[in-house]
Amino acid sequence: MNAILVDIYSTVAPSAPFIIAAYAIVWLALLIYVIITVNGLKKTEAQVALLEEALAAKTAKDNAPA
Amino acid sequence: MSNKKVKAPEAGQWPDKVLIPALIAGAALTTIGFLMAFLWAAPVNGAQLSEPVLVGDVMVTHQQLLSQKIFYFHMPVAIVSFVALVFVAYYAIRFLSTRNQRFDTCGRVAMEITLLFVIFTMVTGDLWTRFEWGVWWTWDPRLTTYLILMLIVIAYFVMRGAVDDPERRATYSAVIGIIAFIDAPICMMITRLIPSSIHPVVLREGGMTPDMAATVFIVMAGMLLVAFGLYRLRFRQARLAERVEALKEQLED
Repeated sequence: MNAILVDIYSTVAPSAPFIIAAYAIVWLALLIYVIITVNGLKKTEAQVALLEEALAAKTAKDNAPA
Repeated sequence: MSNKKVKAPEAGQWPDKVLIPALIAGAALTTIGFLMAFLWAAPVNGAQLSEPVLVGDVMVTHQQLLSQKIFYFHMPVAIVSFVALVFVAYYAIRFLSTRNQRFDTCGRVAMEITLLFVIFTMVTGDLWTRFEWGVWWTWDPRLTTYLILMLIVIAYFVMRGAVDDPERRATYSAVIGIIAFIDAPICMMITRLIPSSIHPVVLREGGMTPDMAATVFIVMAGMLLVAFGLYRLRFRQARLAERVEALKEQLED
């Protein structure tokens, strides 16, 4: 390869892994964070529904005439 | 403590209605910014070549610093971390003035978003440092003050895990949140206060060309929208988790 082109690419090719890593880490971490949060949200929503149901049943039982 | 009813943020309010569009718009803008960074924004020149050479239809006279492309994500995530800290400080002050635990929840979630973006800033910065300076770490004033900021943010969560009493935990959190916020302008201004800093200063070094500025602006807008979306998602989850605890207590009574 032309020596001048080698000189140009000397700063391009070696930096590529660092650039790819920088962008990939940010995007992947954001994606993982969103997935974890959405899963956690769904799980918590299910817990709330179950507990509300249990509380309603308990309240009905407590208020029922003896 | 005032008896006046405090208007506190709650899940399900209007910001939650724009949460999903904000996340989608944020993802789209950061992707557009990424493409602009590599396909549109001109590369930054490095050392001068011994003689110019024609590559394609462009006369190249300098080495091309591809590593500078990291800057298009590094600077926006750093600024978003500072913006998130503004909210941490705001909720800290709101908590200290009202003693309403809701503001502690808001502050904790905002601090979580801050930590996420601080880590992004450190990782992207370190990858650039490793390539350009040949080291993973150097005690440059900007890096050092930002490391201190990251340690304060981590200390915030360590403290929260160590203190059981909610009132004390929230008070300490508010104080640490304000301390972290105070460190933010120090981080930003340190390269001006200590000119020997080797960290690049975009504005001092001639500013950005319009194509660079537009790319940074697009990515920053995208990252702000992503941060907002993530904050509201986590806040909703935090409020639901508090509801779970309250329901458990009611069932036990």
